[in-house]
Amino acid sequence: MRRIGVVAWVVWIEMLRRKDVYVLFILLGALLLSLVSLNIFGLGSTSRYVLDVGLTMSWIFGWILAVYMTARELPREESRGTIFPLLARPVRRADVVIGKWLGAWSVTLTAMLLFYGLVAGVNAGLGGTLDARAFAQGYLLHAVALGILCAVALLFSTRMNHDAASALSFVLTGAAFVVVPRVPELLVHQKGAAGTALYALYHLVPHVQLFDLRKRIVHEFGAAPASTAAVVVLYGLVWIALLLLVAWLAYRRKRFSRTNLSA
Amino acid sequence: MAPAIETRGLTAEFRGRGGTVRALDALDLRVEQGQVFGFLGPNGAGKTTTMHILLGFVAATAGEARLFDTDVRASIARQRIGYLPEHPDTYRFLTGRESLAMTGRLFGLRGAELRARIDSVLADAGIAEAAHRRIGAYSRGMMQRICLAQALINDPDLVILDEPTGGLDPLGRRAIRAIIARLRERGKTVFFSSHELSEVELVCDTIAILNRGRIVAEGPAAELVPQGERLERFFMRTIGADDGEAA
Repeated sequence: MRRIGVVAWVVWIEMLRRKDVYVLFILLGALLLSLVSLNIFGLGSTSRYVLDVGLTMSWIFGWILAVYMTARELPREESRGTIFPLLARPVRRADVVIGKWLGAWSVTLTAMLLFYGLVAGVNAGLGGTLDARAFAQGYLLHAVALGILCAVALLFSTRMNHDAASALSFVLTGAAFVVVPRVPELLVHQKGAAGTALYALYHLVPHVQLFDLRKRIVHEFGAAPASTAAVVVLYGLVWIALLLLVAWLAYRRKRFSRTNLSA
Repeated sequence: MAPAIETRGLTAEFRGRGGTVRALDALDLRVEQGQVFGFLGPNGAGKTTTMHILLGFVAATAGEARLFDTDVRASIARQRIGYLPEHPDTYRFLTGRESLAMTGRLFGLRGAELRARIDSVLADAGIAEAAHRRIGAYSRGMMQRICLAQALINDPDLVILDEPTGGLDPLGRRAIRAIIARLRERGKTVFFSSHELSEVELVCDTIAILNRGRIVAEGPAAELVPQGERLERFFMRTIGADDGEAA
């Protein structure tokens, strides 16, 4: 655990000293303030509208941060050559994989906490109400979804450079979020091999949409039943464990070269 | 006493576009504790591959390698090792002191013990005055020194140095020699790879010359090179590249 913690700590320090999180936070604040002050579509002062946009932007920024930051970690260790002294210490490759994921995930979670806090603050400033339990549950499930996104990006980055791993992760996770929920509708009209393939694909891709409680929060439907939320969290944790296992398998015997992954 | 490094029949083959390349060919190597061991060879001889197998970066195709009688595939084998790579680099967003603290924690150091080790290696590497600056602002020589300090943070019993004087000015080279001399005085083992044969002559007490994945000459520095012959000439003759110019 100590070695995993040290690897994660390095990711943390790097993110504190880079501008990514601060820039996204300022962008989100500017967007929410402009919505309120410019009163676009005449909805600017409607707290529910601002809450909806704020949470949607938090999801988009969280997605960008999780994928972009995680996909950068392993390839850059290799292209800079810092992987060699790191592995020359009593550190296992599993420690590196889990430490990088943990660091990136925890940084993203902290950024999301700031984003959610900002959105809740602006909502309260506009006199809007908020179901605190649903809001907290929404954050928790969002956190698990980000864990999956970080694990996907890390998996691709074990064998690809930063650009390729980021691009593939964005495409696949974006498709999982947008396309996968539509698959049951397509299955009704699709029979035979194509239908079977679609059905298999439906079950082979993580269902990130299960973790999205924005509508429940915005329209005050209340929190989901605790047992349902627990099953979804468990589903997410199983996916994270599976993806990290595959990432470790891909990384454990990898031969490193400073040149073949230079981004 | 177990040797610091021992390899038996160590073989490494890599598949490339042009077929399989045998980087190491049944390499038998034994480095006793307390030796300053010069590991020489032309480019492509297998020096870096040997070091990478010893450090667990790549797996051998056949044979075995042990550090202090522990199989190199176990991460614990690296607990007593310090390593300076050929192209040293470290996290540039950290300060020198932070990078040493990070490395020390990987070895289980903490608190007052860690702080004392950091102060000690910063002084040894001659980089104490820049310890609070970000590494991104360091010169190449300073980068080499901070990476050397990292390699020494755990007070290693075996220090593996891959081209440690490459790119250093005369002052930097002298500092590296002084560090190696101090390690020798303290009974530490130094495994030293270099193309700078004059450096090797100055610091190593045992030399092995590697060519095409095999040891072609090995012995105490004073006995290996015939009297009146310089190491550079002996090296050229041994690897079959002697054209008389080195004389």
